[in-house]
Parts: sequence; C-alpha cells; structure tokens
Amino acid sequence: MTLGTKGARWVSVVAAAALLAGTVGAQGAAMAASRKPAGTKVATLLETGSSLLYPLFNIWIPSYNKVHPNVQITPGSTGSGTGISDAEDGTVQIGASDAYLPPTAKSTNGGSMLNVPLGISAQMINFNLPGLNAKHLHLNGPILAGIFSGKIKKWNAPAIAKLNKGVKLPNHAIIPIRRIDGSGDTFLFTQYMTFSAGSAWAPGYGTTVNWPAVGNEISAQGNSGMVTALNSTPYGVAYIGISYENEIVSHKLGIAAIENKAGKFLTPNPSDIQFAAAAMVSKTPSSEALSLIFSPGANSYPIINYEYAILDTKQANATDAKWVKDFLTWCLTTGQSMSYLNQVHFQPLPHFVVNMSKAQLNRLQG
Amino acid sequence: MTTHEAAEAARLRLRHAEAVGAASVRTRRARSARGYLVLGLATVAILAALFPLVDIIALVTVHGIAAMKLSLFTTVTSGVAGGLQNAILGTLVLVAGGMIIAGPLGVFTGIYLAEWAEPRVAAVLRYLSDVLVGVPSIVIGYFGFAVFVTGLGWGFSLAAGAIALATFMLPYIVRTTELALTKVPGELREGSLALGITRGRTIHSVSLPVAAPGILTGLLLALGIGLGETAPLIYTASWSNYDPHLVPTHSPVGYLTYVVWTFINQPFSASHELAYAAALLLLIGVLVLNLVARQLLVGRQAD
Amino acid sequence: MSGTRSDRLYRVGAGLVAGAVPLVLAAILVFILFDGLPAIRYMGVQFWTSISWNLGNEYGTALTVRNGVQAMQGASFGILPYILGTLLTSVVALVIAVPLGVGTALFLSEWAPARLRTFLSALVELLAGVPSVVYGLWGLAVVVPAVGASVAPWMAAHLGFIPFFAGSPGSGPGLLAAGVVLAIMVLPLIAATTRDAMIQTPQAQREAAYALGLTKWEAVSAVVLRGSRPAIVGASILGLGRALGETMAVLMVCGGAVNLLPGNLYGPVNTLAAVIASQLDSALTDSTQMAVHALAAVALTLFVISLIVNGLARLIVREEARA
Repeated sequence: MTLGTKGARWVSVVAAAALLAGTVGAQGAAMAASRKPAGTKVATLLETGSSLLYPLFNIWIPSYNKVHPNVQITPGSTGSGTGISDAEDGTVQIGASDAYLPPTAKSTNGGSMLNVPLGISAQMINFNLPGLNAKHLHLNGPILAGIFSGKIKKWNAPAIAKLNKGVKLPNHAIIPIRRIDGSGDTFLFTQYMTFSAGSAWAPGYGTTVNWPAVGNEISAQGNSGMVTALNSTPYGVAYIGISYENEIVSHKLGIAAIENKAGKFLTPNPSDIQFAAAAMVSKTPSSEALSLIFSPGANSYPIINYEYAILDTKQANATDAKWVKDFLTWCLTTGQSMSYLNQVHFQPLPHFVVNMSKAQLNRLQG
Repeated sequence: MTTHEAAEAARLRLRHAEAVGAASVRTRRARSARGYLVLGLATVAILAALFPLVDIIALVTVHGIAAMKLSLFTTVTSGVAGGLQNAILGTLVLVAGGMIIAGPLGVFTGIYLAEWAEPRVAAVLRYLSDVLVGVPSIVIGYFGFAVFVTGLGWGFSLAAGAIALATFMLPYIVRTTELALTKVPGELREGSLALGITRGRTIHSVSLPVAAPGILTGLLLALGIGLGETAPLIYTASWSNYDPHLVPTHSPVGYLTYVVWTFINQPFSASHELAYAAALLLLIGVLVLNLVARQLLVGRQAD
Repeated sequence: MSGTRSDRLYRVGAGLVAGAVPLVLAAILVFILFDGLPAIRYMGVQFWTSISWNLGNEYGTALTVRNGVQAMQGASFGILPYILGTLLTSVVALVIAVPLGVGTALFLSEWAPARLRTFLSALVELLAGVPSVVYGLWGLAVVVPAVGASVAPWMAAHLGFIPFFAGSPGSGPGLLAAGVVLAIMVLPLIAATTRDAMIQTPQAQREAAYALGLTKWEAVSAVVLRGSRPAIVGASILGLGRALGETMAVLMVCGGAVNLLPGNLYGPVNTLAAVIASQLDSALTDSTQMAVHALAAVALTLFVISLIVNGLARLIVREEARA
C-alpha cells in the first residue's frame, strides 16, 4: 500500500466511523419506518414469568396486536417464581405462573393480588434413553422421588424394572435434570411427588425446593433449557411443560406414562387431561387458587394445572388497568379457541371458570 | 537478574551438562536434541492455544453467516425468533450511554493522575482503579440492580444499564489515559512550561495531542469491552422485544450478548441461528475496534 | 497571575472528577456489605461452611427467625460448594493455561521470526477481546459434548488411579468443561504478559550464555525462563483473578450444581459468580428478601476473594521487581 502508516491510520479510522455511521443510520431508518404514525397512543405492557405459558403468549400477542396494534406487550420467560414476585412489586403488569399464589403477606395483602386462570396445561416427564425413546416408560411418584433424592441410581433398578417388564433397561446411571430458576414446573412436579409418594419425597413442594444432593444432577434454566439439556444428556430424566411437546417429539425424546391416583399409567394426551380437569374444576374457589395435581379418576392424567396470570388489583395507572383487562379478556374468549391452544397442547377453561376469571378481572383498578 | 548472575547461572548449567557426560560431540548432540524437544513442546503449546481461537472464529463464522439475512437488521425479536434489530440498536445505545458517562470521567481522571496528582495520592488512586478492574462484572450488575433498578425505582432501564457498563469501563479508560500521558516526552512539557504557558494549557495544547492516539486506543478498547459484556446488563437493562424507546427509565433494553446467552439454550433451531448471528456481529464489532485501535497505536509508534 | 488560578481550578476540577473512582468503589463495597449483613447474621459462620442452599418453603406458613432476622421456613444459605467450585474451576483453568501460556510465550519470544511473532501476537490479543458469552457458546457447542462423550470417559477409565479423576464421568457440563473454557479465556493474558517479560530479557544475558557454550534450550532455561519467573507468577495470579470473577461462560457450561460438593473432576459444579447470575430471579421470589441478602453476601465473598488474589499478585510482582 502506498498510503504510508499515517495514511493507513486515517483510512482505518474513517472506515470504522463510516461503518458505524452507516449501521446506525440504517437502523435508525428502519426504526423510523416501523414506528407508528404520530397521534397513536401506545400502551406498553410487560409480562413475565412461566416458561410453560410463554409459548402461548407468543402466539396470543401477535393475534391480539392485529386487533389492537397500539398496545405493545413484551412477554418474558423467567420462571413462575419471578412472574409472581415481579407482579407483586409492580415491575411487570402481568405475571405468569403455573403455580397459584403462595400464602405470604403480599398475596393476602387485603387481597390485592389475584391469580387468574387463563387455560389448563399439563406437564410431561421426559427421558432420553438411547433406543428406548419411542416407548412410554412407566414411572410413578415414588420412583421419581427416589431418582431425585439419589436413592434410585440406575435405570435398571428393581423398582423401575418391576413397572416396565419386558423393557431392556440400560445398566447406566440416571442423570436427573431439574430447574435452577424459581419454577412453576418445579412446583407441579414436586407437588405430584408430595401427593403421590408422601414421605419418600422429603423436601415438599414449591417453586424452589431444597433439592437433595444427587451427584450427577444437572440444572437448566427454563423449560427450553430443560429440553436442550435433556437432548444433550443421554440417560437423563426431566420434567417439562406440555407446551414443549413438539420439541420433545422432534428431538425424538421419550415421554413417560406416569401413574395416576387410580393406579393407571397415562401419557399426557388431551382426553386424559380433560378427564383430570373435569374431576377437579368444580372445586375451584372464588380466588381460583386450586391444585389440580393427582386428581381422582381412572383416566385422569396426574400432572395438570391452571395456568395463571398473576395481577395486582392496584395497577399503576388507568391505561394499564384498561389494557391488561382488555388483553386478558381477549385471552379468555377469543384466545380459548383450539386453533391457539392446540399449538401448545393446552385445554380450554370450562365456561364457569372463564366467568370466575372475568369476575376477578373486574377488580382491576388504575 | 543481573548479567553477572546470569553468567553464573549459565556457567553452573554448563558445568552440570558437562558433568553428565564427556564434553563430546555426542553430548552436544544430546543437548541440542533436548533443545529441539523443548521447541517441539512450545510449538505444541502455541498450537493448542491457537486452536480454540480458530475454532471459535470458525464456529461462529460458519453458523453466523449461514444465519445472516437482511431481515435480521429490519425485524425485531419476537419471542425466540425473528430478527436482531432491537438487540443491535440496544447494544449501540447502551454502549454509547456507557461511553458518554465513562469517557469524560475516565479521561479526566487519567489526566489528573498523570499531570496533577501528588505521588502518594496518585498511588492510592491507581490502586483503587485496579481494584475496580478486579470487581467481578456480576457484582457490578447486582449493585446496579439494587441501587438503580429497585433502590431508586428506575426499573429495568437504559440509564441503569448504561451506568453499570460505565462502571465497568471506567477503570480501563483511566489506566490507558494515564499510560498514554506518561509516555509524553518530558522535554515537550518542560519546553511549553518554560515558554510561560500555564500547566492547563500545556496539557491541552501539548500533552493531549501527543497522547491522543493512546487515549483513543484506550477508549476503543473500552468500547470493545462494553460491547461484549452481559453480566452487568442482565439485571439492569433486562431484555426487550422492541427497539429502545430512548427514555432513561422504566423501559428495558435488549442487547446482542443476551441473545447469544439465552437463545442458544432454546430447543428451536431458529433461536440457535439468531444466537450465532448475534455472536458473529459481536465478533465483527470487536475485530473492527481492535484493528482500528492497533492502527492508531502502530501509526503512532512509526511517527 | 491568572495562569496559576486557572491551573488551580483545573487541578481541583480534575481532582473532583477523579473522585468518581473511589466513590464508586466505596459505594459498591458499602452497599453489598450492608445488603449482605442480614444473611450473615442469619447464618453466622455457617454461611461459609454449610453445604445447603435452600430458599425455604414459601408455600409453608411459618417464618423462621434466627438472630433477629426473618427468613422463610427451613431456609438455609450455605455457600461452601460455590466457594469450592470457584476455586476448583480456577485451579483447573490455571493448570491448563499456565503451561500453554508459557509455552506460547516462549515460542513467540525465542523462536518465532519477527513477522510471525507480530501476527500471532495480534491473534492471541484478539482472543482476549472475545465476549465471554461467545466463549460460553463455544463451550456449549464444542467443549461440553467433547468432554461428555470422549474426554471425561477416557480420563475416568485411564487416569482413575489419581483420586480426583476417578468415578462417574458425568454428562459433559461440569468442573472440567468449565475449567477448559476458563483456561482459554485467561490464556491470552498469561501468554501476552509472559511474552513481554521474556522479550525484555537483556540480549547481553542471552549472549553471555551462548558464549559459555550452552545450547539454545539451556540458554533459554537458564536466562529467559528464570528471569521471567516473576512475570509468570504474576501473570498466573492475574489470570486467577480473572477466572474467579468470570460469570457468563462458566454459567453456561458448569451444570449448575446445588447442595453438593464436587465429588470428582467431571461432575456438575457451581461458582460464586454463576450463582448470583442464575439465582437472583429466584431470590426475588422470597417475600422476606432474605435470599436477596444472601446473594449480596455471596457478592461480598467474591469481592473479598478477588481483592485478596489481586493484592497478592501486586505484592509478588513488586517483590520480584525489587529483587
């Protein structure tokens, strides 16, 4: 190059500046082009929480925006625990949770926090066993409690073999995979173990629990992290929300058949979820906080739940209150269509539960 | 080690080598062979060191280019797919914000250290600046969260993120500015003062122009550091699926490193594509900044 | 004279601006100290010696009160596994990075021709600028599968006679994977610092050794290696400091272990920095906020450890420079 060092220096500085200016300019132009015309009021709502409910919000929000383009709703997948706490301290307008509100001070604080069901979902128990993923292995609460307590260490343990006669289980250590974040799925899974295995599962249930020390156990963030971890961990077992069933199937991972209260082993298919729901929903109180885990009935899938929107009745301002209510009402009506719910394998709420939810929404004030 | 000590050590070494065998050609060859062995090990070492670098660049480039399309720059992220417009703009805005705060603060602190401070004060300040460099980025992020996001009630915001980034970049800018200024030849300074020009004017008319390339290099390197940071931003800027609203508070901002961190853990291939594309953009940004910084330095050394 | 007045103004002004650094540092320290104290009061010394990290049961109804502070029923915050995980991952990283770094520096300073040296040095410095999430990305895509499928099983099978190397080879994410990724991250620092020191060995000393009839290797080891030993030690400790505070890359490949001490080289671990990043969201769900205080105390512990390590580095570098 005949430029010389000083020339080269200036060329590179100018080039970098031009690159930067060009990038910023182009981005700014794109941003301006996509901005709404002047005069349109934009309401900005933040939603965060359950990673189980997150895929459904990603389907609902664009459809809602077709009807109301002036409302910007940002969903987040941070775990049900965060959904609850962020809604409680006003960081977000809508919290999402697979678990109902805990009975702590804030949630019973003059009843200012609401949990409003938006749909019925379920949880899968998944595994990754080379060659066996097409089979629906039989598992139950006591076995899962043993696995996640470190007492059942290998896949061909007698307890598992007894339930799966005729299946050649590998002689390999089980690698349990659990959630590291405050998770509604952890709540559902641990509640299932508590209800079905009793004292075999000591830590109890919650969005975070005192996980027993298991040497091999790895942890993952969010349902999507669980799927990724299970996919890259042969001989692993994980609990994953049903909205990720498509990914489980496409990665050819296994779905277990788990034992319900009547002793039958079921996979989470729509009719068995509906059976389970039908057996329990009549017990829904006006606060709508109800566990649907381990419901009675021969064909009831044992791990199902209401998907909740966690809301503060005292919203920051009238605009927020109005649009939160409008959006969630849309979710409870148009959003209950199977064209949306089928994509995440959810079930619609019974009519009377929809009415109870709408009644709770009426309590929102700005 | 003085030359005398080195010669002593070398003499001992030779004596030892000769004591092992007769000072014959055979011994000499054996000793040379050992030398080639060490050369071999050193070559293996540098190959082993460079292999990951090449692998990282190859991995990101191959997957990133495969994922590149124009729509990445014109669409925002929606859920776990879409484009990177919001993340790119967010990164630019956050890093610019951090630089606006840390740049002047850092440069003037560096000037103070190099030109004004008494030796003991300067030593203390330098030590504190080094301590600040050593503060783990997540600690700064937590601090930003507790003080600005929740403490002052700003919520996840551009301001909190920019301040967290600035805290991270500040000590680097201080260090490089001070270094650049101390390299200014004393005669230039003294000549200017001898002419009766005030200390302040001397700094600005004489020292700064000479130190400018070094200071600019430091700023560019700090930019590169800010570009690649995640931990200070997770709990201050959080994440947004929309373009930055350019308001300082109560509005979260997305950024490229978040995409790399989160989207690679999603089980969707569309998300992985975005993660690699974001990683590629980051690498290009760091590379450009690095090259320009080098040019500035090399150009200066040649003068 | 107006000159001295403007100078005085400038000096005072610059001094005030320079106060930003101590101010920010003090703010960070004071803040995490006060924010972390409740958790330390709750746990006492057990904060650093207990293995159990448990937020307590927010679906239970009772609150535990200990030493005057409230936490949820059954809450316990012990960070010994994280302290160990932090130290172990850094040690593994150094064990890999120091030989590689010194070898690289040796090659660059003693054998590489000038043009190759500039090019390779630039390459190595570029490595230093790569964002840590990109390292994590590479770690997830390349290191974890390689460790899980090949390296760990091989090591467990063939090196099992060494105590820490035996046992279950794990599934990939864990201490070894995190150590490898950290090693690559601190390698440029060690290589560049050592190379600079080696290049600065006076040519006269090298020539004295040759004049005495030493081969190249003997001259190098007698003069260059021994002369740059303080730099090697200093660089290693600086690398240690960097590895201790690394968050994102480690978070992505460490396996996120909780409530257990690392049993061998391959099992999942967790580090102080990764714990803060991954647990802050969950900690906020604790209505007593004790979990948040616990994380602030973790940050304090990490801060103190890196302070000690960096201080040690400076001390050693100064001692050797004096020698």
